[in-house]
Amino acid sequence: MTTAQERADLLSKIGLNEQNKAALGSVLGTGNIGQATERADGRLEATIRIRPDELSWDPAILVMPHGGDIELELINDDLNTHCALLPSNGDRKFIWLVNHSRGRATLNLDGPGYYWYSSPTGNDEGRGLTGAIVVLGEVPPEARLDRPDQPRP
Amino acid sequence: MTVEYVDAGEAIDQGILSGKHGTAPPVAADLTYERILNARSEPQNWLTYYGAYNGQRYSSLDQINTENVKRIGPVWMFQSGTSGMIAGASTYAFEAAPIVVDGVMFLSGWDGWAWALDAKTGQEIWRYKHAVPFDVSLCCGNVNRGVAVARGKVFMVTGNAHVIALDATNGRKIWDKTYGDVRAGESATVAPLVVKNMVIVGSSGGEFGVRGHLDAFDLETGDHQWRCYTVPKPGEPGSETWPASGEAWARGGANCWVTGTFDPETNLLYVGTGNPAPDFDGAVREGDNLFTDSIIAVDVDAGQIRWHYQCTPHDVWDYDSIGECILFESEGRKLLGHFDKNGYFFVVDRTNGELVQITPFVDRITWGAITGDGQVTPKVYPDEEGVPVHFYPGPAGAKEWTHASYSPKTELFYVPVQDVGATATRRRREFKESIPYWGAGVNVDLEDMTGSVSAFDANGEERWRWRAKLPMCASTLATGGDLVFAGEPSGELNALDARTGELLWQFQCGSGHHNNPTTYMVDGRQYIAVPVGWGGWAEGFLPGMLGAGHGSALIVFALPE
Repeated sequence: MTTAQERADLLSKIGLNEQNKAALGSVLGTGNIGQATERADGRLEATIRIRPDELSWDPAILVMPHGGDIELELINDDLNTHCALLPSNGDRKFIWLVNHSRGRATLNLDGPGYYWYSSPTGNDEGRGLTGAIVVLGEVPPEARLDRPDQPRP
Repeated sequence: MTVEYVDAGEAIDQGILSGKHGTAPPVAADLTYERILNARSEPQNWLTYYGAYNGQRYSSLDQINTENVKRIGPVWMFQSGTSGMIAGASTYAFEAAPIVVDGVMFLSGWDGWAWALDAKTGQEIWRYKHAVPFDVSLCCGNVNRGVAVARGKVFMVTGNAHVIALDATNGRKIWDKTYGDVRAGESATVAPLVVKNMVIVGSSGGEFGVRGHLDAFDLETGDHQWRCYTVPKPGEPGSETWPASGEAWARGGANCWVTGTFDPETNLLYVGTGNPAPDFDGAVREGDNLFTDSIIAVDVDAGQIRWHYQCTPHDVWDYDSIGECILFESEGRKLLGHFDKNGYFFVVDRTNGELVQITPFVDRITWGAITGDGQVTPKVYPDEEGVPVHFYPGPAGAKEWTHASYSPKTELFYVPVQDVGATATRRRREFKESIPYWGAGVNVDLEDMTGSVSAFDANGEERWRWRAKLPMCASTLATGGDLVFAGEPSGELNALDARTGELLWQFQCGSGHHNNPTTYMVDGRQYIAVPVGWGGWAEGFLPGMLGAGHGSALIVFALPE
């Protein structure tokens, strides 16, 4: 059994969060965690990078404080071409990210819940270029069940 | 030296890269309530989930008939597949009933997909993709049973319990309302039903201890019209069937996860309700547990239950009564036929819920017995903690949600039958929101199973039976060509003689059927549309086919030109 701190140490020690060290790629969900920021107009924004030779999104887990629109800046600092296929209501959003490029994506997500996205080319997805966007919050009050508050796990 | 980044631009809709995008003709603009009321007067179309408000799944089209059905073959196919990591990646299935309006087909898939297709060629016209959270509590599987179409809009629900309206010409979202709480374990799979100026939907989540409900929204604005809870609060009618103390009612289930039927003369919506929760541990919810496992008649304007008939009081076998409520007339009476998961075929007077007849429609029923006058005697059920109990039918029922059909021409019902048992062992657990709340360990039988398409008349007399090797898990379709179409879990699509049950034609579709086939006509040619894609809650209704391959194809059949 490990504690949370031991988990981080073990990930690094074993190399689960790196390329071609423990597994062949970095294991999903082992990267950095970041939070979107909210502008004065209520829209959310965040930057996600692909760092050289890491084949992972940074942050690998992006947290939105609530559902709605988010504007992403996507930066590929790597020496290879990647892409992004991102969740959004209406249709998924796609963008090519050639070496050393910077692009944008505007997403609309409901939440609460989380969504995976990836670089769906070649070997990118399995090697680590699969990230998560987590949306916090509750459903609107009118959608909730008329019942006393119930215990949660 | 700093090197400027290459400008990668703005991310685009993935559909732009599909080679298929366009605008549909405005066929749905004048699709009114009045037209849906008279849907069967335009048999070239399939305007609503069951083909008509009566739930018969019958079309008078007879170009394809008993004489020539052996000559039909596939004329086009539509496939989508999956990409990326989706919710319930192992449970997606293609279950929808394709809607056809004047040459344009509208249908939904798994994981928030909806499409408009050219019904003659299969060409994709537009697509819509809702972003469904990966971690939504699916109940049970990443499935969707179809769309509704009216007044220029396409209505669908999403896995995270939204109901949305799309522009029928281009798939763009017009409004979006949340009607369930995913943190409470609610989700949505139902095909919406348009009645008058409303779009009506039910919630899923019966395995998560939620409180079931129907909701109505204004179809133009999305404004909420009413909510009808299917488990009463303390003090409301029916609350006496729940424990007086505690909060069992608040977790009581009774979800309406299958589309209802409607009679404009009674102004009643007829809906089957789901199982109580926890499914198998009845001791924590003593009483009949209304309105679980019931046929409920809901005043469509008021959103209030006018009468009910409970098929399995105090259910401890997971016998949802969500099966279709088929409206028909016999000897001057307005009746309702319902094949229940508990193995009995109920006919009630749909004006007042009075029982007319009850008949078993599957060979093996061991959980208990129901007499002709409706008296229920439980016999075998999980009761003692940790003691396994085997019973027939299993929790998927003698008929799952997939639908029977009724031909007014032959006056026969055609029911897909599952004859498979299960073992449940009561294992009490505390309720926690969003965690499955079964109250048992359950194994559905892997062997000694069978199935059939069985034809019954309104008196409950079995008129013929076509025997299958495996339980039948797909809706049947009855046509004026005296045909019954029925798909098998092993992939075969069959055409049976509606009067004799003789197998007349068969086609291997490459994946199992857990679907709602429909029929329509364009430019004088009749088509049979069959969504094919094995999946869903297969561990519950047919674990012996759990390892079968998934598919995700819509195959459309016709006679040679």
